[in-house]
Amino acid sequence: MVRNIVILGGNSHPQLVEKITSTLGVPACNRILKKFSVGESRLEIQDSVRGKDVYIIQSGGGKVNDNFVDLCIMISACKTGSAKRVTAVLPLFPYSRQPDVPYNKAGAPLSKAPTDVNRKDFTFESRPPTPSPFQPQSQGLTNGTDVLHKKLAKTSLDQQNGNTYTNGITPRRSDATDSLQSLTNGRERKGSQSHASQHTFTTHDYENTALLNKSLFNPNPGYKQWVAQAGTLVADLLTCAGADHIITMDLHDPQYQGFFDIPVDNLYGKNILKRYIQQQIPDFRSAVIVSPDAGGAKRATAIADDLNMEFALIHKERRPTRITDRQNATMMLVGDVANRVSILVDDLADTSNTITRAAKLLKKEGATQVYALLTHGIFSGDAIARINASALDKVVVTNSVPQEEHTRLCPKLEVLDIGGVFAEAIRRVHHGESISSLFWQ
Amino acid sequence: MATNSIKLLTGNSHPQLAKQVADRLGINLAKTMSLNYSNQETSVTVGESVRDEDVFILQSTAPGDINDGLMELLIMINACKTASARRITAVIPNFPYARQDKKDKSRAPISAKLIANMLQTAGCNHVITMDLHASQIQGFFNVPVDNLYAEPSTLRWIRENLNVRDCVVVSPDAGGAKRATSIADRLDLGFALIHKERARPNEVSRMVLVGDVEDKIAILVDDMADTCGTLAKAAETVMMHKAREVVAIVTHGILSGNAIETINKSMLSRVVVTNTVPLGDKIERCDKLRVMDISPTLGEAIRRTHNGESVSFLFTHAPSD
Repeated sequence: MVRNIVILGGNSHPQLVEKITSTLGVPACNRILKKFSVGESRLEIQDSVRGKDVYIIQSGGGKVNDNFVDLCIMISACKTGSAKRVTAVLPLFPYSRQPDVPYNKAGAPLSKAPTDVNRKDFTFESRPPTPSPFQPQSQGLTNGTDVLHKKLAKTSLDQQNGNTYTNGITPRRSDATDSLQSLTNGRERKGSQSHASQHTFTTHDYENTALLNKSLFNPNPGYKQWVAQAGTLVADLLTCAGADHIITMDLHDPQYQGFFDIPVDNLYGKNILKRYIQQQIPDFRSAVIVSPDAGGAKRATAIADDLNMEFALIHKERRPTRITDRQNATMMLVGDVANRVSILVDDLADTSNTITRAAKLLKKEGATQVYALLTHGIFSGDAIARINASALDKVVVTNSVPQEEHTRLCPKLEVLDIGGVFAEAIRRVHHGESISSLFWQ
Repeated sequence: MATNSIKLLTGNSHPQLAKQVADRLGINLAKTMSLNYSNQETSVTVGESVRDEDVFILQSTAPGDINDGLMELLIMINACKTASARRITAVIPNFPYARQDKKDKSRAPISAKLIANMLQTAGCNHVITMDLHASQIQGFFNVPVDNLYAEPSTLRWIRENLNVRDCVVVSPDAGGAKRATSIADRLDLGFALIHKERARPNEVSRMVLVGDVEDKIAILVDDMADTCGTLAKAAETVMMHKAREVVAIVTHGILSGNAIETINKSMLSRVVVTNTVPLGDKIERCDKLRVMDISPTLGEAIRRTHNGESVSFLFTHAPSD
C-alpha cells in the first residue's frame, strides 16, 4: 500500500495498468476517457488529485496519435487539477525512432553512380529499419551506401528524360507479395482529391513502385527532402503539457533522454530477458547471443557478458565486395553459431523484417534453434504473418504494448510481464529511493 | 535578400480547401507528403525549400480524425521550423478542442489551452482561425491570433437567398446570442432567443423561445453544428411558435455521428454551412445542405498577413469570389 499516489491509466494498455495497480496495492484512478462523436478526446477525472503524486500510464502502441494526445490531455488536466507532481509512464515511447537521412561516409554526394552493381543482389536489413519515406524498406536491396549514388544518378537521369522521379525507390522484390495487404492498416481516406498526401502508405509500400508512381509526390529537383524529425517535438510537447518526470523502457536511442529538460528514467528490459534465458532456455551457456545489427551490439553484448555467453554479430558489408555464397549476399555473420542455439537480442520489432531475415541467415549458418528476445513487440502490418512463416522458433517479447491479439495469432510468441518492474520503479520514484538498483539487479 | 514569398502547405485533413485557397492566391501548394507508417506514427516530408520563406500551413479538423490531424499539423510546423522557415502561420479554420475551453468541473482539462501551448511549442508564430467557439481562446496564445468571421459571408448569403424583410434571427442558445444579435443588427431584423437546459454534452432537454417568430422565416445562427441535436430541437421549437420556415446558418458544419439523418428528419428547410470542415459525401446525402465558400476570406487573410496589411477589413467585408 502506497499513500498519496494516484495511478491514472490511459486507454492504450488497461492490462498493464491493472497489473501495476494490483502490485502497488492502490486502486486505479476513476476516470472517463472517451471520444466525442467528432473525434475529440473527452476526459473526466473523478478522483481528487490535489497535492497527489500522479503517475499516468500510457503506452505508445496502437493508435499512436490518439494515445499521445490523450496522454497530453491527462497530464494537463492533472496539472490544472493541482497535482503535486505528474509523471508520465510510457512503457513504449512513441516516435522514438527517427527517420535517418542516408549519408555517404565522406558526407558529400557522389556525382557518378557505380555501374558494376547487380541490381538483383540483395542483402539483409542490418540496422533496425528506421522507417523513412525515401529509403526502401530494406536498404540492403541496393547494397548499402550505393542507395545515395543511385538516387542521385536516377534524378539526373530522370530529369534528362523527363520521367517522373520515383524518389530512388528500388524495384519491388517479386517475393514481396504481401505489401498491398498492409495498406488497409494505414489511414483510410474517402474522397481522394488530386493531392499527393491523400495516399495511404505503410513502411512496406516503399518497395511498391507502382503505388509510388501514382502518388504524384515529386520534390523539387535538386532539393533534398526534409523529413520531419518528430523526436524533439514529442519531448517538448510532453514537457509543455506539464509532465515533471518521464519513466520509460529501452529507448531506441539513449540520446533521446537529452531531448528532455525534465528527468527521464530509462528502465532496462535486459534483466527480464536475462532471466528468461537463464530459466527457460535449456543449456543456455552453450548458446550464442546474436545482435541482428551493429547498432544493437551494445545491448546484446551487455547480456552476453552478464551471462558469460558467447556473442555473434550480423554485419552488413557496406563495401562493394564480390559476393560469395559464404557471405550470404552482403550480410555477414561474425562469430560461430553452427550446431548451437542462437538467441537474437534487439530492442524492438515493428515490421519484424530484421529478425526474420537474421533468423534465416542463422539457420543457414547451422544454428539448431533461433530465439528472438525483444523488449517491444509492436508487430505492425504483416509482422505476425511474417514471423509465423519465418525460421524463428520462438519470439519472446514484453507486454510494453498489449500482446493479447498477437499471442492469439502467433503460437511462437511468448510474453514476459513488465508490470512488476514499472510498479517497483513507480514505488521507488514516489518514495524518493534510488532506482539504479533496478538497472543492475 | 532572397525573395520572401508565401509557401502554402497543407495536411491531409482538407486538401480541397487548401487547393481553393492556393488558387485564390495564384500559387501552387508546396510539395509535401504526410503519411502514416504501419505502426501508425505520422511522418511528414517537405519536398521543397522553405528556408527564409513565409510559411502558411492549412489544416482543418476532419471529424473522427482530430488527433491524427493535430499531430500531423504539429509535426509539419516543427518540420518547417527546423527547416529554417522565417515565419510559420498555422491556418486552422476550425480550431480543434475549442469547446473544452474552461474548467467547468473539477479536474476538467482545458484542452483548448493545451492545444494552444502545443502549437506554440511546435514553433508556430501566428495563428489564423475562424469563428472561435469562444474568442477568449485568443488569450491562450502568446502569439498573434487572427480570428476571422464568417459573418460577412453569412450576411451576403442571406441577402442573396432569402427575402430579408420576412426574416427573424434566432439564436439557438444563450451563448450564441451575441453572434445572432450582431447579424440581426446588420440586417436590421428582429431577434429571438431559445433558452435550453442542457443535461449532458451532445444532449439537449427542454427549450423555451423568447421573442416572436410568427409567420416569419426564422434564421438559426450558430458557430458550429456537431450532432445537430440542438438545431433540430430548436427548429421544432420555432415551428411550434408558428414560424413559416426555418433556415440554419452555421459556420462549422462538423456534422458528426447521425447529424445528416437528424437534419433530414428535422423541420429545417435548409442548413447552410461553410467549407471550413471537409464535408465529404454529406452534400449528396442531404439535399437541405448548402455550402458557403470561405476560401476567399482565408486567401485574402493570408495575402494581407504576408504583405503586412491590415486584416480588420475582412471582419466586415467578404471578398468577392
